Amino acid sequence: MDVAEQELLFELVKNPPTGSKIKAAKEFGVDLTLNLRSLRLSPAERVQEMESALKFSEQLREGVQRISE
Amino acid sequence: MINFEAAIKALTEAAVEFVVVGAYAAVAQGSSQLTRDLDICYKRSPENLKRLATALDPYHPRLRGAPASVPFFLDQRTLSQGMNFTLETDLGDIDLMGDLSGVGQFPEVARDAVIVPLHGVSCQVASLDVVIRSKRAAGRPKDLAALPELEALKELRVALKKDKRDDR
Repeated sequence: MDVAEQELLFELVKNPPTGSKIKAAKEFGVDLTLNLRSLRLSPAERVQEMESALKFSEQLREGVQRISE
Repeated sequence: MINFEAAIKALTEAAVEFVVVGAYAAVAQGSSQLTRDLDICYKRSPENLKRLATALDPYHPRLRGAPASVPFFLDQRTLSQGMNFTLETDLGDIDLMGDLSGVGQFPEVARDAVIVPLHGVSCQVASLDVVIRSKRAAGRPKDLAALPELEALKELRVALKKDKRDDR
């Protein structure tokens, strides 16, 4: 994604058109800046990031469990 | 937690025809969700059912949440007699969908799937439209809660495509 495309999406998220799904999602509480970042990655990179985050959360959960035992 | 890499490789190496659906597909399409299981929509041909059962057999598939006393053996016959299976395996939780709510079976799901290289193998991943339709049809609170993000994502991607067309 080039800089112009990044700027276009950023503007849409910052000032979403009235009645748009983007506006509805923001009002619902979705942090669309995470999606902006994700859209710059390839699909393979997106799932790799998710898997890394999941592994980290699992390690964190195990760590907390060990401390509480 | 599921070992996505091993699960995808096991299915691909056994030449199972499947499309990744659900939250994992949503992530591949740009969603920021996290998921702990792998949902696939599989082709219901006899050969594919056999390949699917063979691929999962080394990982001891069992019905998720069912007591150990409930007999279950995943083979071609079991798969042909059921449709959707929620399984626990040695690799983690895997949901096998013969029919995806709001979309249909493998041919409908695969129609506009995208090929994504995942863990060194080429994998069919459901389109964002398919993910949205299936979540809307599933209708569970967690599916409905995912919709605002997915629909916004769709608008963002449409805006990108439109921008590219306008540039030409």
